[in-house]
Amino acid sequence: MNSLVVLIPLLPFIAAIIIGIGQLVGFLRDEDSESTTALIALWTTSMSFLLASTLLGTDLLHKNASSFLVGQWLSSENLSIDINFITHGFSLVLSTLFSLLLTIVLYCSINYMLRETGFHRFFFVLSLFSSAMQLLILSGNAVGTFFGWEIAGLCSYFLILYTYNRAVATINATHVFVTNRIGDACFILGISLSYTWAETTHWPNLKTVAAQLTTGEATGIALSFAMAAFVKSAQFPFTPWLVRAMEGPTPSNTVFYGAIMIHSGVYLVCLLEPVFEKAPLAMGLLVIIGGITTLYSYLVGLTQTDIKSRLVFATSGQLGLMFLECGLGFWQFAKWHLCAHAIIRTYSFLTAPSLMHIVYGKPIAIARPALAKQRWAYTASLQRFWLDQLTDWTLIRPIRRLAHDLSYFDDHIVDHLAGIPAPAINTISSLAELEEKLIGGHLDHSDQFSYSSGVIGKITELFAGHTHWFENRFVLGGLSKSTITLGRKLGQAANKIELLVLRPRYLVIFVLITLSLAF
Amino acid sequence: MSTAPFPVLSLIILLPVMGAIIIGLIPKQAVTKKIALVIASLEVILTGLVFILFNPADGAHFQLIEHYPWIPRLHIDYLIGIDGISVLFLPMSALLTLCSIIAAWNSVHHLQRLHFALLLLLEAVTIGVFSALDTMLFFLFSELTLPPLFFLISLWGIGPKRRNAALKYTLFMLFGGVPLLFAILLLAMNHVTAVNGSLPEDLSFNLLVLLDTPLTSNLQLLVFVLFLLGFSAKAPLVPFHTWLPTVLMEGPTQVTALLIGLKLGLYGILRFTLPLAPSAAVEYSWTLGILGAITLIYSALIALQQTNLRRLLGYASISHVGLVLIGIASLTMQGLQGALFQLFNFTLISSSLMLIAGFIQQRTGSNEAIHLGGLAKVAPRLTCFYFLFMLASIGLPGTSGFPAELLLILGALSAHHSLGFSALAGSVLCAAYMLSFTRKVFLGPITQTSVNALQDLRPREIALLCIPALLVLALGFFPNYLLKTNQMAAEAWLSHLLEQSTLEHNESIPFSTPERP
Repeated sequence: MNSLVVLIPLLPFIAAIIIGIGQLVGFLRDEDSESTTALIALWTTSMSFLLASTLLGTDLLHKNASSFLVGQWLSSENLSIDINFITHGFSLVLSTLFSLLLTIVLYCSINYMLRETGFHRFFFVLSLFSSAMQLLILSGNAVGTFFGWEIAGLCSYFLILYTYNRAVATINATHVFVTNRIGDACFILGISLSYTWAETTHWPNLKTVAAQLTTGEATGIALSFAMAAFVKSAQFPFTPWLVRAMEGPTPSNTVFYGAIMIHSGVYLVCLLEPVFEKAPLAMGLLVIIGGITTLYSYLVGLTQTDIKSRLVFATSGQLGLMFLECGLGFWQFAKWHLCAHAIIRTYSFLTAPSLMHIVYGKPIAIARPALAKQRWAYTASLQRFWLDQLTDWTLIRPIRRLAHDLSYFDDHIVDHLAGIPAPAINTISSLAELEEKLIGGHLDHSDQFSYSSGVIGKITELFAGHTHWFENRFVLGGLSKSTITLGRKLGQAANKIELLVLRPRYLVIFVLITLSLAF
Repeated sequence: MSTAPFPVLSLIILLPVMGAIIIGLIPKQAVTKKIALVIASLEVILTGLVFILFNPADGAHFQLIEHYPWIPRLHIDYLIGIDGISVLFLPMSALLTLCSIIAAWNSVHHLQRLHFALLLLLEAVTIGVFSALDTMLFFLFSELTLPPLFFLISLWGIGPKRRNAALKYTLFMLFGGVPLLFAILLLAMNHVTAVNGSLPEDLSFNLLVLLDTPLTSNLQLLVFVLFLLGFSAKAPLVPFHTWLPTVLMEGPTQVTALLIGLKLGLYGILRFTLPLAPSAAVEYSWTLGILGAITLIYSALIALQQTNLRRLLGYASISHVGLVLIGIASLTMQGLQGALFQLFNFTLISSSLMLIAGFIQQRTGSNEAIHLGGLAKVAPRLTCFYFLFMLASIGLPGTSGFPAELLLILGALSAHHSLGFSALAGSVLCAAYMLSFTRKVFLGPITQTSVNALQDLRPREIALLCIPALLVLALGFFPNYLLKTNQMAAEAWLSHLLEQSTLEHNESIPFSTPERP
């Protein structure tokens, strides 16, 4: 009975493979085969819903073992990562709920997407996503969850790219994926820390080991997973990616940013409940970030003029509340909140396209008078508190500029120092040529008899040149034009270097290097 | 340690040479390609056979050894064999050569015979590098890669400065060769003093003997630095990396795919630098780590600025070299196995991306982002393959990039936190440069007429890309298959290093194992 759990993520995955190959090879391409694609996707997802609900039923009758092991995925010394699944409790409830919601959304999208150009692509991504999401929820270890986590992120990237020939969509998709990548890095950090400190990456083991962890270790693990969760669930400093993700067809927004994927952050935190309980600092952070996000989403949501943006901020606000509840220790409440919110949000996103018909003639609720009077709050809210611009200004632009500087440095300094082959044509082969060159404008006595490459060659050349220069000076004596030019050039170079070094990005780098060495 | 019943390794080295000679003897252009293809396919089969003959349970020891005296007076031998570390490089080199011969099928028009002969010669020499167990023989093979590559780059290059690029490449490699030769001689002379022998009777270039010859700590440091200097030009590491972008811009893509996929320098670091100077290696592993971290972040940042696909791939590959070096420097099992895995990935992922860049170059005459844009619309199959390899290069789960990166980061974090954090920062930057470039080239509206008329991948090209694509996916889902092959060898490698260093340096605390309360 337990082994059925494997099929829950596997069935949609097989559907994704069939649709994907079908599209590549060509048997699922035109409008005639749309119904085939839709049926494959719908059937597999509903089958996985049936399986999940069967398993949930047996779990409620206490007939399930707590986990099911498939085999080993990777082993290296004492690191061993299995493919295993959780077959009881909250994970199963969530799996059932999400597969139900996915089935509903898939059913609705058949009509919504009918005869669109990317019909097959849409169902391919959605099937892959439902498989990834089931893996995320049901996997019994952190790496498996990360597998689903990342593939779900990729699917979200693909669906934002749904209209990939629109420039804005592509920029947004890239932005969203890279932002999510920060969260993924934190997730990997969490996996590594739990491997080094708790010596396990299995969720059930991590729960039992949690009691033996010191507060510091628990805080480290909890904080890195919490950061990953914040990014995925669009909590405070990362909220703007959620708005950017609103490209793409509405049904996909429903599953990704309304009902399902967005909740995976909260689910992750709930999985790690015992670890968080050991780490008061991480709990505090959950409260603070959750609180700020709720407030932020409320304020920004007030001024949004389109339905999707408004729904987005409602979602992130609710998620903030869930994190707040987790931080305060109301874990059970947060779980119930998650399920309830997923259902409500599916409904509100799916009805979003026809919302205008429903609310026709009814006035829109106005903000509180006290708040409405604040002009600055209105501006700030309309600008979403300049969060996008702020990250751009503090993070993206400095990195871009640093990259630009380094690229210049690489092309003009490292490349020159390391030596470029100087073809024989450039070398002066005879004294007559030297004479010619001197007459031809090079009157500053740069005595280049040789032209060489590479560090050693350059050093030799420099040495020879300087000896010659010294001899020349010794004979001629006195101050000449070239000395002044040289001095000026040196001064300019020093100025440039000073200007460069004093720029904030370099100061930040120096501080970072010092910190990392001290660490 | 076991000698080979049948000289299969020598056969593998000699077969392409024979092929090159046959191509030289038969003046018909039409047959050339077929001969090359047959020889390259035979090589793949033979190296596959080696992989089957190889016993992973005994992977710690060298197998299929062939030992013949070569210059008896100096004790330089023809000694070849494989262990768990090198066994996978053989089939990969053969496969990559096969791919590049298929890729050159229609793109090389003048001097076709010479081109295919040189490719085969290069294959022979490369396999020689990976199986040589005599330091002098290794040196010889690694220097012998230069002539074929010099001509391949300078005669069939696609850039206007291909001759300069070829010269630059050769100069850099020769620069790397000098310290290598010094280090090899130093080790041979040390063997004389260690056994209280006399010159030249007791010179030894045998790697198996040298590994057990004690070395004073001063000499160890010297040997370590010399080897590192030599291999850092070949790997390449910052600041000796500038030849790679130049060559990638100027060289023919099927050859640069070989160049980017086979990391002789990193193999050298694994095979010679660390094991031959164990205590210095353990003591100064932090320099390796810092060098790796600098290489990783520096080239990742530069990659953000690139506008040409081939240059981008060059910097991305340098950045991944940094990551591999971090893994090696961590001196942990995870880091080491991750490094070996990643070396395998270079051949699969970077080379395939380079071949794709070549296909785009052939069709549009450019790899510059400004000349492309919106390729996904006109060439969906090409885009599919590109996306798969691009995502593998980022390290997405489900592709072979992920287990390698996970192991490397795990190893780095357990060695030192800053190494781990730079590896993590590198993975974020990798996504940033890859995706922002993808956006410019493959997505967005089509602006150029040349792109509009572009033809999608042909069946030959699809077949060519399918092999690495399937391997990438298979290893992403079943990484253990690869890890089991080199597990014993990696364990032996690591314990050799740590034991030797504790024998000689009882008081020093290795960098890899920070004490935890």
